[in-house]
Amino acid sequence: MTPPFLRVSGVTRRFAGSSGIHAVSLDLDPGECVVLVGPSGCGKTTLLRVIAGLDTPEEGEIWIEQQQVASAGRNRVSPGERGIGFVFQDLALWPHLTVREQLDFVLHATGRAKTDRPRRIGEVLDLFHVGSSLAGRYPHQLSGGEQQRVALARSVVGSPRLLLLDEPFSSLDPDLRVALRSELATLQRQLHVPTIYVTHDREDAAVLGDRTVFMRSGRIEISRGEVSP
Amino acid sequence: MMAPMRDDVWGWRSSRTALIGLALVAFAGFCIAPLLFLVAGAFALSGDLRYGDVPLLLDIRQRGLLSTTTVFGLGAAGVSTLVGAPLGFALARVTLPFKPLLRVALAAPALLPTYVVALAWTYLVAPIAGDWAYSVVSAIVVMTVVCYPLSMLATEVALRRVEPRLEEAALLVARRGAVLRRITLPLAAPAICAAALVIFVLAISEFGVPGVLRVRVFTTEVFTAFAALYDVRRATILALPLTAVSLVTAAAAAILILERTLTTRRGLAVGAPVAFDTWRRPALAIIVCVIVVAVLMPLAVLAVEAQRAASIVRAVQASQRAVINSLGLATIGATMVTAVATFLAYARVRAAHRTGTVADILMIFLFTVPSTVIGVGLIGLWNRAGPLGAFYGTAAMPVVGYLARFIPVATLAIAAAMRSVPVAHEEAAAVSGSGWFRTMTRIVLPQIRTGLLAAWTVSFILAFGEVGTTILVAPAGESTLPIRVYTMIANAPPGHVAALALFQSAVGLCPLMLLGGALASRDTT
Repeated sequence: MTPPFLRVSGVTRRFAGSSGIHAVSLDLDPGECVVLVGPSGCGKTTLLRVIAGLDTPEEGEIWIEQQQVASAGRNRVSPGERGIGFVFQDLALWPHLTVREQLDFVLHATGRAKTDRPRRIGEVLDLFHVGSSLAGRYPHQLSGGEQQRVALARSVVGSPRLLLLDEPFSSLDPDLRVALRSELATLQRQLHVPTIYVTHDREDAAVLGDRTVFMRSGRIEISRGEVSP
Repeated sequence: MMAPMRDDVWGWRSSRTALIGLALVAFAGFCIAPLLFLVAGAFALSGDLRYGDVPLLLDIRQRGLLSTTTVFGLGAAGVSTLVGAPLGFALARVTLPFKPLLRVALAAPALLPTYVVALAWTYLVAPIAGDWAYSVVSAIVVMTVVCYPLSMLATEVALRRVEPRLEEAALLVARRGAVLRRITLPLAAPAICAAALVIFVLAISEFGVPGVLRVRVFTTEVFTAFAALYDVRRATILALPLTAVSLVTAAAAAILILERTLTTRRGLAVGAPVAFDTWRRPALAIIVCVIVVAVLMPLAVLAVEAQRAASIVRAVQASQRAVINSLGLATIGATMVTAVATFLAYARVRAAHRTGTVADILMIFLFTVPSTVIGVGLIGLWNRAGPLGAFYGTAAMPVVGYLARFIPVATLAIAAAMRSVPVAHEEAAAVSGSGWFRTMTRIVLPQIRTGLLAAWTVSFILAFGEVGTTILVAPAGESTLPIRVYTMIANAPPGHVAALALFQSAVGLCPLMLLGGALASRDTT
């Protein structure tokens, strides 16, 4: 039996005044896309942050490709060494860097040769249909949809081994949301990167997820497989 | 910036119109009119400014003044930033014990009267270094002691306002050092540069430090032209280059600050992801050193010198009238400044984006106009026949000076606090039937009471130490404590002067410590 790509085992993270997550366990197979669904404040974002190493679990363990990256009270592998691409809910595009510079920052940090970077940036911008005319623009000079594409491009440009998407389309109008979701589904199948996708929207789950996990009050309630269209 | 409130929420017939209108009239009368009068007067006095006064502005003596003023301004801005920015970084990104108290102690020199620090410097350094104690380099050092807190606080706020998500996104692929260099510092840089520009303008506008250290710069020349030579024309024309430089630099600083607000979308971050707690010990050691050098040493020097006076109490008693005048006038001045500034701040925060930007530039510019220039403008405006002239020559003129000098800075401070009150709070009060005045007093002002208290305290301390304007507009025989100290420096025993300076510093620092204590109890970082 193939070991899971990601194993979250009994992870707890509490916060004063909010629920946090409690004894959450979750496995993610290679190439699988799991969609996390649940109400606001149920711990979806906290779970992603703990997996990414941006937060430390108080209890439990996290394993990526059979390497323990976090245990109770300790992050054993820093966020930068986990090989994770993350799209934040508010995108977190660096306001002082152009689109090209955002991607170049990631490639430089992941050790990509300088001569190779322009080609890789061009590839990824093409992949996400970001025109070369936008490459020199700053985030505030882009439309909402363009910002979303840039955030996705930035998350995959460093060839991450795991993709975490925290409600990336929540601020978009319905038409754009449907179009981007469809593109992302195609890309996910093309890239075959294991992905956790957080959303409120069950339609997102139906389109994108190989499996849907329901969370409530910091706990996983149901995990069920769904067939992607 | 907050969205402007819809006009139809309150309407023109509400009390808002009357109160903001009154505040704007006060602002125009006290802050704008003296400068307009000064500029108009310069042209009227010279007849033909272009040809008649070029020699006055460009002769070799003035070129020397210009060069010394520039070196003083650049030096103070550069060294203050070199000292203040790392301290701000330590406060923002290193976990330190008693951080709120350390912050208050580090900020204290900004509220010491500048000429008091200069006086302490002469007592400490002149016996060792002789004339060097009275050089432009010494003036830069003293100005750094007073101004580094501005750079420190600007840096700390800028670093704490960097959106944590931006750093977290970078931390997923890069080390902390690279994130600091490529993401954090570039985002904080505009605010640090803006603080440096403001310090530059404050330095070239400074009167107390070059006055005590006998460094000839434009501000001292303006004072000499007016007070010693009685040459109003010369004083007025010499004030023009300073005013122009203040305006240009204030505009640059405001644009940089505006750029900063565009790049942030949230309040102060708690628990920044890029922290440097391994630097805790060296940071703490440096902070303690700075507190000793910049706060304790000047006060200790003054205390030692004051012991040579027969009695500190007797020295203060001998200046009792000046002390009472200062306390009373500073209290009245701070209260009036805060009242006017509150309504101006409301108008600024609820104004449209472009109007608000222009208002920011104007306020920063007015704050940086040299005190002696404001003094000359006030004299020109108020010293005339009629009702204004009847007022001129009364003990109330120093309060007019305080209003002219400190309404802008109080407005900026209160506006910063008022931005945190959502427009929706007002709208909710409006739909529930509350009038504007009641909404202000019951909904808006209670939410910013700490900001109002801080603005009053800072206005009081600044007014209590003000010398450049009041020395020009105070009526004969009516002295304030700063005027008395400043005039006694040249012709009274050092112990006596030091005793008064020490008393003045104590009165300034006490409310700061109380305010700091109140803020510290609210600060959980």
